[in-house]
Amino acid sequence: MRKVGVAGVGHTKFGRSDLPLVDLLSLAALEALDDAGIKTGKAHEVDQVFVATMGAGMLNRQSSVASALVDTLNLQPAMAETVENGPASGASAVKLGYMAIASGMCDVVLVVGGEIMRVVTGWEATDFVATMLHPEAEYNYGLTLPAFAGMFTRLYMDKYGVTEKDLAIIAVKNHENAVRNPVAHIQLVPNLHAITEDEDANVINPYVADPLRVYDVCPVSDGAAALVLCAMDQADRFSKKPVRIAGIGQATDTHVVAERKEPTDLLAVRLAARRAYEMAGLKPEDINVAELHDAFTILEVAISEESGLFPRGEGHLAARRGDTRVGGRIPINTSGGLKAKGHPLGATGVSQIVEIVRQVRGEATGRQVEGAKYGLAVNFGGFGNNVVATILAREE
Amino acid sequence: MGPMMYAYKCTACGKLYHPSRAVCRECGGREFEEIPLEGEGTLLTYTRVYALPEGYMKPWIAFGIVEFPNGLRVSGQMATDDLATGMKVRATVGLVKEGVGKDYYGFIFEKAS
Repeated sequence: MRKVGVAGVGHTKFGRSDLPLVDLLSLAALEALDDAGIKTGKAHEVDQVFVATMGAGMLNRQSSVASALVDTLNLQPAMAETVENGPASGASAVKLGYMAIASGMCDVVLVVGGEIMRVVTGWEATDFVATMLHPEAEYNYGLTLPAFAGMFTRLYMDKYGVTEKDLAIIAVKNHENAVRNPVAHIQLVPNLHAITEDEDANVINPYVADPLRVYDVCPVSDGAAALVLCAMDQADRFSKKPVRIAGIGQATDTHVVAERKEPTDLLAVRLAARRAYEMAGLKPEDINVAELHDAFTILEVAISEESGLFPRGEGHLAARRGDTRVGGRIPINTSGGLKAKGHPLGATGVSQIVEIVRQVRGEATGRQVEGAKYGLAVNFGGFGNNVVATILAREE
Repeated sequence: MGPMMYAYKCTACGKLYHPSRAVCRECGGREFEEIPLEGEGTLLTYTRVYALPEGYMKPWIAFGIVEFPNGLRVSGQMATDDLATGMKVRATVGLVKEGVGKDYYGFIFEKAS
């Protein structure tokens, strides 16, 4: 197999956008193409485009988005597909781009993930996201992703002693990172005391799905992120030295959450991460920086454990100690994470990899992890029933 | 008789499922028989959800995951606010969502007396 790298990255501001979906995707795509030093117009060198989006059909009433993006960018006759894998669509699209290049079929692949979600109400958005759950055994009950996260959190608290304050510490950390990331959605830092121990904490930070509160849950965001993937044997065609995709792992788990043998296990995370480490020839101890899918603060804890960065039941202790802050032993979600940077579903997996590329290139101004060489991104679909882990490495 | 909820038992190896499957994970069997899924169970975890999706005219609903004595675990709505992990609950079947032209029935758990 040929080695594959990331030659260029692009990222729109996450938050609220008035642009049509394809226009937003093209902003991120052009930034990535320019970053890679690829020409646009007739002399473009893109062989394939993958677009990751979960909501285009349901929220924006648009299908075949990749074909539309190729047209806007005038990348014809490049091949094009739209990829839908729930909130893990982004990393799935990157995986498919990797496969297209590793197989020898393509040299240059443009991967763009994006979502326009704020065209609907919060209730409609919550309902739309819940359509990834099991139709009869979950969705029809009114169950949602926050509901499963709340039930998961209660189990985690009972089993490992995680407290609401531990989760708030993670939220504050990610908000602090986000204000150092100009593309992050939320540009404010909540006060830890106000959202936990203040007498008005229940008003400032009400329960959404107890024991999870507003500040434990990611916002609904619009946004897009893009990568130019390339064959490493073509590296001299690009303006920057490509960052190598060292490992990719993906795994699935039961659709119905209640059926899992150990309800506090996220087996698909464990297996996806293990496969990514094996492919990369690396161990969790080698990782210098990680972007983990914190749609809910508890997921940053659980994924940090299942991906081997901390022992089981100790992720919250690591956060308490400050190990996961920039400057700590293994900084997590330096971009602000889903929690504060935002979570435009299809964009998220791509956005996580954009942040890791910026970190290992040394371009993460204001939040740079010194000497970062290896980074891990975990993109989590469903309530953990389809997970993609990606490891990137700086080439010396 | 009102609507019933079922477990799906692999006719080859006896493994139970809810919801139904096309293939048995244990033995690869493809035939299942319906067994009523009812009675008492144990509440493993729960949450009260205050941000409900489109279509619910209530301020909040409690949900839980319940384990039946046969080992099957299911999600359902909770009919009581007196909630604690490990408590005994009794399965009832009721309206869990009013759809357009169609109503959906599912597990609603009550506190076991």
